[in-house]
Amino acid sequence: MPANPAPPDLTRLVPRELVAELLGIARSSGASFADVYAEHTVFTAFSFDEGRIKAASYSVLNGVGIRALAGEKTGYAYADGFAANDLREAARVAARVARDGVARAAPQAFRVSEAPAPFTLAHPAPIELDETRCADMVRRADASARSHDARIKEVSVSLATSAKSFVIADSDGQWAEDRTYLSRLVVSALALDGDERQEGFAAAGGQVELEYYLRDRTPEALATEAAASAVLLLSAREPEGGSYPVVVCNGWGGVMVHECFGHSMEGDTIRKGSSIRAVQKGQQVAAKGVTIVDSGLIANSRGSFRIDDEGTPAQRTVLVEDGVLVGYMWDKLNAALTGNTPTGNGRRASYRDYPLCRMTNTYIEPGPHDPQALIASVERGLYCKKLGGGSVSPADGNFSFQVTEAWQIEKGKLTHPVRNATLAGNGNDAMLKIDGVGNDLAIDGTTGSCGKDGQWKPVGVGQPTVRFTGITVGGTAL
Amino acid sequence: MTTRSATPEQLIAHAKHAVERARAAGADVADACLESSRAFTVSVLGGDIETLKQSGTLGLGVRAIVGGAVGFCSGTDLSAPGIDDLARRAVALARFATPDPANGAPTLEEAGPEEPGLAESMKLFDPAAMELSPEAKIDMALELERAALAADPRIKRTDGASVSSSSGAFAIANSHGVSRSWEGTSVSAWVVALADDQGGKQQTGVYGMTKRHLADLPAMEGLGREASRRALARIGARTVPTQRVPVIMHPDIAATWIAQMYDAFTGESVLRRSSWLTGKLGQKVASALVTLIDDGALAGGLGTSPYDSEGLRTRRNVHLQDGVLQQFAYDHYSARRAGVSPTANGVRGFASTPGTGYHNLYVAAGHTSANEILRGVTKGFYYDDQGSFGYNPVTGDYSFQAQGFWVENGEMQFPVDGVTVAGNSLEMLQHIVAVGSDLDFRTSVACPTLLIEAMTVSGS
Repeated sequence: MPANPAPPDLTRLVPRELVAELLGIARSSGASFADVYAEHTVFTAFSFDEGRIKAASYSVLNGVGIRALAGEKTGYAYADGFAANDLREAARVAARVARDGVARAAPQAFRVSEAPAPFTLAHPAPIELDETRCADMVRRADASARSHDARIKEVSVSLATSAKSFVIADSDGQWAEDRTYLSRLVVSALALDGDERQEGFAAAGGQVELEYYLRDRTPEALATEAAASAVLLLSAREPEGGSYPVVVCNGWGGVMVHECFGHSMEGDTIRKGSSIRAVQKGQQVAAKGVTIVDSGLIANSRGSFRIDDEGTPAQRTVLVEDGVLVGYMWDKLNAALTGNTPTGNGRRASYRDYPLCRMTNTYIEPGPHDPQALIASVERGLYCKKLGGGSVSPADGNFSFQVTEAWQIEKGKLTHPVRNATLAGNGNDAMLKIDGVGNDLAIDGTTGSCGKDGQWKPVGVGQPTVRFTGITVGGTAL
Repeated sequence: MTTRSATPEQLIAHAKHAVERARAAGADVADACLESSRAFTVSVLGGDIETLKQSGTLGLGVRAIVGGAVGFCSGTDLSAPGIDDLARRAVALARFATPDPANGAPTLEEAGPEEPGLAESMKLFDPAAMELSPEAKIDMALELERAALAADPRIKRTDGASVSSSSGAFAIANSHGVSRSWEGTSVSAWVVALADDQGGKQQTGVYGMTKRHLADLPAMEGLGREASRRALARIGARTVPTQRVPVIMHPDIAATWIAQMYDAFTGESVLRRSSWLTGKLGQKVASALVTLIDDGALAGGLGTSPYDSEGLRTRRNVHLQDGVLQQFAYDHYSARRAGVSPTANGVRGFASTPGTGYHNLYVAAGHTSANEILRGVTKGFYYDDQGSFGYNPVTGDYSFQAQGFWVENGEMQFPVDGVTVAGNSLEMLQHIVAVGSDLDFRTSVACPTLLIEAMTVSGS
């Protein structure tokens, strides 16, 4: 038995005639637009801790969400499962957002969206990873981390997959279907030395083939990375508090541009004027030489797709060109209300949620500098090598993120490891403080999840090595 | 429109059926957890409806223990074949997990008899909250936004106001014959006020609360005014030089901190030695002013339930008494591992296996008013807003982006942003020099104002 069976054919569960009927009900009180989103997702997980597989699990999430739009208003209701009467009730609830009472017609026929796929998977990991293989992988990660260093006393491993199929159909007559296969392997290693304890992490995943775990990112490779990080942190020092030059690593370091810039470029905050960026089109918002892009087309990333959750094809959208703000990200609702075109950024966590304007893979394009030279140019500062989570308050721009592993830079050299640094600042000026962009762009589409209005969605982030003139670093050392 | 979730009786019937199917499929021990909820949320913006959303969920999770190993399945198909499929899959999956003698479920002896009227006595369910119509919620949300806007001409817009009500039922049954169920309601109102600052910058003020009873929700006007007060107070915020100073933690920040620290108080973390409180049972780990309690039976509490999600009677657990570490928190599994009695902290939703979690977590109120605490600080930082990341659960290290006010001679001088506040949780606990009398539950975690003797504030 495979760990995650191939998804069912959703058109059998929600036939076109039923979808057309639901769209008609959703617009029966005058809604200008309606859409129906049907989803079937199977999640599997193996969780390993303290030398044992704690549980093997399998969960099904399926149902249909129905949205009705009336001007700026959204009505939304969903039902778990595919029972026609439950779906009709959900459509009636969604319809109530409109009040002028003039029923609008349901589409007579659907045209099927034929957007090209940015990449395809021949052997998606979620389908190929059967239980025996999963159990073997988590055990190998555990053994490998423990053998790395005698101070590694505990190891947790989780291997999770999801296989999702969905249909999105709307009152304009669009019908689109897609499938996505996500997987993620996470290893955390706990190092103990006397009273000192530190944890190191490593993660891999994305929309990847089975081969990826056999060759590129093996359980052993992740385990060694996590264990080495934990052991290194045992000897790390506390960061010096203050504002000084910071160099942020490539790849996952892009979480910074995601938090302190990307969120303020999402179409909902632009339309409502709650983002400072709403009035900055054409202005210099980042240092010259900085180009920022959101693209749903990055191969194998968690943040990529063929069509977004409104059926719009994924695309590459340039947000900042050489420091100048040139474009925003749009979902259908916010694009329509502002006279813009959707950019493939309409995304929802599941059928239980209405779409929001969300990032896909957001990154800074490469620049001219050798990354080593960027570090070597700093007299005294911090090199951020591994970053944790970040957050931003979009309206006021205050952002922060955790740096789980950093190095002190002294006279251009990395001198000693630093732990528990938090970087803080305001998104309004952070991108203007970039004074060096490396040539080593990497996009990390392995593990990121972004939260907005209670909805979590997979994303990718990226950048080359980037140098900032000064960022506030939180620490206890003075 | 159906406004009520499935009844506890309906859920229990499904749960017992699922347990029976798992046993028939080969489980030595099985449990089934059902959750049903119904919610309706109204959001308004700029004086008009922005979204109306109805949520309705009914899900089942089946845990099968075969030869001491756990297999778990969850789904939303509650038809007889659907339940049978989940039960059989859970049994089949257990084969791949590691046998562990501590895996199990509470017996009737451990759980004790079901107490009639217990759920009612805890005041979890409010018919008025359940029956609050969408139209009434729309009116409340509009009033809430109007109140925020009316508070001051510098508040020109909001980032939305929302009012939500929900009802939910929970049931757990296991193959030892334990079956428990209950239901509850909640109603919440939140608003985000935006104040214009210099240079196109805006300041945000977020305020609201969630209560089980409609009558416990204060007037919308007061909530809106408080959100606006918070936004206005930040206008002109600036950074300060890096220094070590006393820090006054606002109750919101203090509550978030105790929730972050909770993981260190769980037996689960102590067993795997990832808790920074490992080996410290019976020791004085905090200032004598600190008593930390988790009360699962607190009447009307948002985190209250008559039983934990494994079926054990909830109770009041004192983790810190006058600064002394009294006990850790356990679910059924970790209690068996540690060889202690469970503390009824089993927490799960239908889509997950049990873990350890708090119910209503709080620091007992002290005797000093928040105002007296402020007046006693000659120079320091009043810390009342923060970023989301910056706590290390393994070391207790604490470092957050922070906003607040600079304090001199017992008075707030000017708003501060662009700084971080850092320390270590164990040291911070030991250096709490005042605990406020202002304990107030707005969610399931609450803490009075705290004064910490010294932390590093990093800025310019």
